[in-house]
Amino acid sequence: MKLVTWSLATFHASTFVLTIVLLAYSRGGLGGTLSGLNTFVGLGLFVALWATTYFTTARALAGLDLIASLRDRDGYLRRTLRWGSRNGMAFLAVLGVVALFAAVANTRPEQVGPGILFPALFIAPIALVVSAAVGGAVGLIFGFIDLALFAIAGLTGMDAEATI
Amino acid sequence: MELDPHVLHVTIRWVHVAAMATAFGGAITVLALATRPAGDPASAVLSVAIRYEWMFWAAAGVLVMTGIGNLAAFGADLSGPSTPWGSTLMLKLGSVLALVILSLPRTLAVARMSQAAGSTASAVVWLRNLYGATTAAFAVILGLAVWLAHG
Repeated sequence: MKLVTWSLATFHASTFVLTIVLLAYSRGGLGGTLSGLNTFVGLGLFVALWATTYFTTARALAGLDLIASLRDRDGYLRRTLRWGSRNGMAFLAVLGVVALFAAVANTRPEQVGPGILFPALFIAPIALVVSAAVGGAVGLIFGFIDLALFAIAGLTGMDAEATI
Repeated sequence: MELDPHVLHVTIRWVHVAAMATAFGGAITVLALATRPAGDPASAVLSVAIRYEWMFWAAAGVLVMTGIGNLAAFGADLSGPSTPWGSTLMLKLGSVLALVILSLPRTLAVARMSQAAGSTASAVVWLRNLYGATTAAFAVILGLAVWLAHG
C-alpha cells in the first residue's frame, strides 16, 4: 500500500460523500433520508464505497508515479475516467446486492421470482450503464481536482526518481 | 438479537471523538516537533509527519462515516438548515470539506519532501506552516462541534 494511493482514495470517497451530505442538508432532505436508513447498512455502504474507491484508485495509479513524474500525471486523466466508471459499477453492484437481500427478506417466497428477481434482471443492465457513466464523470472531475491539488502541492514541472 | 439503538449511537459517537482526537492530536504532535527550538533533525520530524499522514486519512474516513452516523441518530428530528443550529452544521460540514480538500496537497508535499535527497531546515519550516494551518483548522472545527453539541 502506498501513501499516495491511500490518501487519494480516502480523499475521493470522503469528499464525494461530504458533498452529497452538504447538498442534501442544504435542501432540507437529509433528515428524512437518514431516518429511513438502517445505521449498520449506512456504515457498511460507506465502507463499501471506501473499499471500491481504494481498489479502483490503486488500479488507476498502477505503474504511475504521480509525485515524481510529470509524464505520469499527464496520463492520469484517462485512467480516472476508466476506473471511475468501474468504481461506479462496483459500488452499484454492492448496492444492488444489499437492495436485493432486503427486498427478498421482506417478500413472500412465491413472489420473489416475479416480483423481485425478474424485474431486477431488466433493471440491472440499464443501471450498470448509468452507474458507469456517472462513475466515469465523477472520476474525471476528481481527476481534474487531483491535478489542481497536485499543482498546489508544488508538483507541476518536476521530474524525479523514487516512490513512496 | 436487537442491538439497543442508544448503545449503537453512543458507540458511533465515541469512535467519532477518538478519530478526531487522533487527527487533531497527531497534527499538534507534528507541529510541536517542528516548532521545538534546536529540536529533532528534519528527517526525524518528516518521518513522524509521514506516519501522521497515514493516520490522518484513516481518521478522515472514519470521521466522515461516523459523522453521518451521528446525524442519522437525529432522524427526522434533524434541525433544518435555516435554523442557527443548521447554519452552524453547514459551516462545520463546509469546514471539514475544506480541510479534507486542502489536506491532500499537504500529504503530497510531505511525501515529496520525504523523497527529496537530504532533509533541510527549510523542510522543518514548511512542516511547521503546514501543521500549524492543519491544527488551526481542526481547532475551528472542534469549536463548531462543541457548539453543536452543547450550544
